[in-house]
Amino acid sequence: MAKIIGIDLGTTYSEVAITEAGVPRILENAEGMRITPSTVAISKSGERLVGLLAKRQAITNPKNTIFSVKRLIGRKFTDIEVQHDKKWLPYDIRESSTGGVEVKMGDLPAGQAGTWYKPEEISAMVLAKLKADAEAKLGEKVEEAVITVPAYFDDSQRQATKNAGEIAGLKVKRILNEPTAAALAYGLNRQKNEKIVVYDFGGGTFDVSVLEVGDDTVEVKATGGDTHLGGDDFDKRVIEYLVGEYKKTDGVDLAKDALALQRLKEAAERAKHELSGAFETEINLPYITSDASGPRHFLLKLTRAKLEELVRDLIDRSVQILGKTVKEAGLDVSAINEIILVGGQTRMPAMQEAVKKYFGKEPHKNLNPDEVVAIGAAAQAGILQGEVKDVLLLDVTPLSLGIETLGGVMTRIIEKNTTVPTAKSQVFSTAADNQPSVEIHVLQGERPMATDNKTLARFILDGIPPASRGTPQVEVTFDIDANGILSVSAKDKATNRSQSIKIEASTSLTKEQIEKLKAEAAQYAEEDRKKKDLAEAKNNAEQLVYASEKAVKDAGEKIPAETKDTITKKIEALKTVKDGQDANAIKNAANELSAEIQKIGAAVYGKNEPKSS
Amino acid sequence: MLEEEYLNGWKRAKADLINYQKDEAKRFEDVVRFSNAVIIKDLLAVLDSFASFEKNLAQPKQDAVGFLAIQSQMQDILKNHGLEKIKVTVGENFNPQFHESVGEAESELPVGVIVEEVTGGYLLNGLVIRPTKVKLSKSK
Repeated sequence: MAKIIGIDLGTTYSEVAITEAGVPRILENAEGMRITPSTVAISKSGERLVGLLAKRQAITNPKNTIFSVKRLIGRKFTDIEVQHDKKWLPYDIRESSTGGVEVKMGDLPAGQAGTWYKPEEISAMVLAKLKADAEAKLGEKVEEAVITVPAYFDDSQRQATKNAGEIAGLKVKRILNEPTAAALAYGLNRQKNEKIVVYDFGGGTFDVSVLEVGDDTVEVKATGGDTHLGGDDFDKRVIEYLVGEYKKTDGVDLAKDALALQRLKEAAERAKHELSGAFETEINLPYITSDASGPRHFLLKLTRAKLEELVRDLIDRSVQILGKTVKEAGLDVSAINEIILVGGQTRMPAMQEAVKKYFGKEPHKNLNPDEVVAIGAAAQAGILQGEVKDVLLLDVTPLSLGIETLGGVMTRIIEKNTTVPTAKSQVFSTAADNQPSVEIHVLQGERPMATDNKTLARFILDGIPPASRGTPQVEVTFDIDANGILSVSAKDKATNRSQSIKIEASTSLTKEQIEKLKAEAAQYAEEDRKKKDLAEAKNNAEQLVYASEKAVKDAGEKIPAETKDTITKKIEALKTVKDGQDANAIKNAANELSAEIQKIGAAVYGKNEPKSS
Repeated sequence: MLEEEYLNGWKRAKADLINYQKDEAKRFEDVVRFSNAVIIKDLLAVLDSFASFEKNLAQPKQDAVGFLAIQSQMQDILKNHGLEKIKVTVGENFNPQFHESVGEAESELPVGVIVEEVTGGYLLNGLVIRPTKVKLSKSK
């Protein structure tokens, strides 16, 4: 069965995602980008361009480059919004015979007259590209889609969007509200009776939606926003500031130089992005312009505080709209359970802070805010496809599983949150010379020391042939089947002797018990680290003592008596501290011994040298 | 019925995994190939500045030789990492696959062809990482 794709058909950019193995992911377009400009053009040579390529020629072909068509789709020509947008959109817009809107594209320099298109035909061109690119990426036909629209879209706008899909050759399985998609992306549709606010600050539009999750539905309680407020306004503020500062310091008006202005625009966007992570950034544009005195350079430091000052009123305005919308939903701020941030501009810390302050709650922001709507559309597509049905719900191991190793340390074999069924093995060895058997102590938990974790089972593998420590190879395998039953086996690779045990109750802990164990692990992290550190120091010391004694014995008379004497003393020193509780003392003694021990090598090889040459 | 659903679900999951693995392998290849792309993209700004410096040089002066050497050293290193400049000639047709128009200029050339390269464009391992910014001709 072919995949259903999820499409976020945005005002300025669009994205496509699919659900694979239950997990939604964004598909890259033919140009290798995760976002596609919602732009269509007829180039001056008469070629139809969609997406990035259309955008690349927009500046010199504004009359024949259509963007922001989402602002017009499904609307009447007489709508206030259309009349307003008509003023600033650079392409021709007229009333259609049915009272709708039409846009013109394809006026060519050679004299051909352009063609009038309905907005849904333009959107269809964008959708057709998204479909074709998705097909190329997936290597199979795509025939069905879920397309998102703003929550405030009326029937006519929804129908027109659906038609756009059909024109593009897509069967539109569902027209999904953008905020609902965002809630789906975060899996909040499963939280019954929750009230969710979606704060969507895009490039050119700002939308607020209040949702209520019912039994099987997500209801939109209220919507609000400003269709002409977005991240682009932030860029404009930064550019204006940069131009103003340069005028002050260098007396040149960069606003008059179109190319300089373009470079400033790119730099402003970049600076804005950088200031979400850093507190200060440098805008450095050598050769920004030139005048009679020669080339001019642009260099300015922009701080996060300055950026925030420049756009403070815009953020405040969005919070005001937010408050109004929550009130319209008939809700108190305290009644809101979850807040979701959507749109690239919400990466700005000051904006996150403003929303957090308003609700007194941390908003959801883990997912990429540019992609969250497309991810949600793909999740919806997955549900429609039966992909996310709970039929094949695979479990995970809630806690780590492992065995006790030298020094009472728990060595993890299967990490927590591993999807089952699964099997993993690791090879261990003996701790002492001629050790005839090993004890396998099966543990569950997150603490580093064996004693702090839960014992699931113990068994012994014997019959290991005599050998020096570290030589035998015992392979320990953990296998958890789909029902959560754990089998542990240990096999001596030399003799193929093996022992195993089945543990039925490995995942039978209650949710509370699991949480308690995890909390304990976090609480004791520091103390545990010290314990583990000590155990490791002791292990190392023991190995070093063993190796040193062996080396001294093996070297025999090849080393001078005084070196031998010092080493023996150092060995004794390490032996006295190694059973104590001071990890540092053990480490120091061990370091001293290892420095000394190297002299054996030097002595042995030093003597051999003349012979070998 | 349920049995069938389980079986189909299992088949689908299995197929998804195989497809995912294939995809992931390809993605990993891309990651390896383009792991440098992010930093190289950032470094293009430095190449631009060098280009502007060279362009603004009245005539090759002795004290600029050092800078020009640094420029070519930088170009050389990036070339070894797969960076290639998009070649643009005046009079060439505009192609949005490789070019981005940033303005127009009057010229004797046919309308719509490239009259000036404003900022260089680059390919990284054969893919456009930044189109050449150009001015197009318009009639006088």
